[in-house]
Amino acid sequence: MSGAVSETKRGWRLTGLEVLLVLTAVVVIGQRWLVDSFTSPALQTGATIFISIFVQALPFLVLGVLLSAAIAAFVPPTLLARALPRNRAAAVPVAGACGILLPGCECASVPVAGSLMARGVAPAAALTFLLSAPAINPIVLVSTFVAFPGQPQMVLARLIASFATAVIMGWLWLRFGRPDWLRMPSRTHLQGSTSWHTFRLTATHDFVHAGGFLVIGALAAAVFNVAMPPQWLDAMSANPLLAILAMATLAVLLSICSEADAFVASSFTSFSLTARLAFLVVGPMVDLKLISMQTGVFGRAFAARFAPTTFVVAVVLSSLVGWWLLT
Amino acid sequence: MSRELQGGILMLVGIVTLRVSWGTTYLNYVKEGMRPWLLLSAAVLVVLGLLAVIDAVRGRGEEKDPQDSEGEPEGELGDGHVHAHGGPRTAWLLLLPVFTLFVVAPPALGAYAASRDVTNSVAAPQLLPPLPPGDPVPMYLSDYVTRAVWEKGISLEGRSVTVSGFVLPTEQGWQLARLQILCCAADAFTSKAQPTNVPAGFARPPADTWVTVTGHWVPGGGTESGTAIPLLEVESIVEIEQPVNPYD
Repeated sequence: MSGAVSETKRGWRLTGLEVLLVLTAVVVIGQRWLVDSFTSPALQTGATIFISIFVQALPFLVLGVLLSAAIAAFVPPTLLARALPRNRAAAVPVAGACGILLPGCECASVPVAGSLMARGVAPAAALTFLLSAPAINPIVLVSTFVAFPGQPQMVLARLIASFATAVIMGWLWLRFGRPDWLRMPSRTHLQGSTSWHTFRLTATHDFVHAGGFLVIGALAAAVFNVAMPPQWLDAMSANPLLAILAMATLAVLLSICSEADAFVASSFTSFSLTARLAFLVVGPMVDLKLISMQTGVFGRAFAARFAPTTFVVAVVLSSLVGWWLLT
Repeated sequence: MSRELQGGILMLVGIVTLRVSWGTTYLNYVKEGMRPWLLLSAAVLVVLGLLAVIDAVRGRGEEKDPQDSEGEPEGELGDGHVHAHGGPRTAWLLLLPVFTLFVVAPPALGAYAASRDVTNSVAAPQLLPPLPPGDPVPMYLSDYVTRAVWEKGISLEGRSVTVSGFVLPTEQGWQLARLQILCCAADAFTSKAQPTNVPAGFARPPADTWVTVTGHWVPGGGTESGTAIPLLEVESIVEIEQPVNPYD
């Protein structure tokens, strides 16, 4: 699609809006044919899952971009930097603990973290917030409590392992991170004539950016959901180490919302509690839609390093915490 | 990508969200509780998009902001780009869910998804309250399965129940199935029961036919396991329309 678009642009200098109108017309005219060819159950199931992830994430994404726009427009740049401890290593756990305050799932936290960095919050602290907010907020902890009846230690294990992963990732970034990996969002062109104008510009910009990548992630998750043979999981549950890796990988592929993942995890009854903990710790921090959105907001160089490292740290910490609390 | 185009895409996403959540289509994808949030986000998107388009239209003729037309790096995903933009060309992708919803509005998950789900009852063994009065008692299939599998049918004994679900064809015949979602259809669980004593007219109905079964629990099919499929002896069975909320 994008190839055709750029071509028309160069050829006739069509504006994007005109391309949009033409595309809409084509889809409306081709509707009958499209509906008729949409009959395979696998395709329908994939489409439903794709749309479901998108529809479910949409309100959270809107909440995220509104928050991020509010930070950009109404919070003075110095305020946030002053609110955190001056010492960056100390700011990391404080930022991680602030994650409790954002009651959304992971789609909301990506634009907010981008906005925090643009407002002068040290990247290490903003990244810790990015990881901790969807993992340890009250809604997620309560749903974990409900999903694992009689096993309140699961809530504690999730809280500790997620918080520790987020903080360690922040410290790792402080120690090894390089600023040029992070394409820091430049937002000078989003400076409007008034605060309200800035708010609108930022919200529109952030939505369009993160939204496109949300679509990629949702699509990938839907494809995996339909293409994955249902039996491969059961084969892995017997080996304790393989079980942890399988559940962690599944969390990445399924890309379900952190508010629902506890119920899904509890259904994998053939897996150890530690393996299911890995699912809960990895899911809100690394999954297909998140990796895609991080690529969009922070750049490819960043996502290619950050996501795999987070995965490894999350798996190691879930194993340790699981061994400590859940056996 | 120009700002008017961004605005146009925002409006389209907002309008399609409004359309889906105004009626009952959204119930194919998410829980009922999401509706106010969907309507609210739809409104936010339409307003933001409209304002962006108005801005752009007003701004025309005046000196053009270089960012608006060619300034933004379209498509190049980072890597050496001074301008910190994650290729706004990806924003075109937002049209994919928009058009999908406008044109086909994918149906609720059914037999295909259920056939891929190997686990059945997922509920942890907690003591459930006794069945409410009534004869037969209407109940969700997931509730029936939980009681039959995890309580060995104690609370179902001697009671007549009605449950609705769709037909999941199997090698020998079919199972009564219904999906349950927690957040969205990506996390759907299947509940399945094996009807016995099925009347001849319903020997092999097509997949995804919705039926309401009145029947009673009979022992068999296994208990206290995530893969047990309890039995349901049919007293009567009728074909129904797919319920407004297709999930338990």
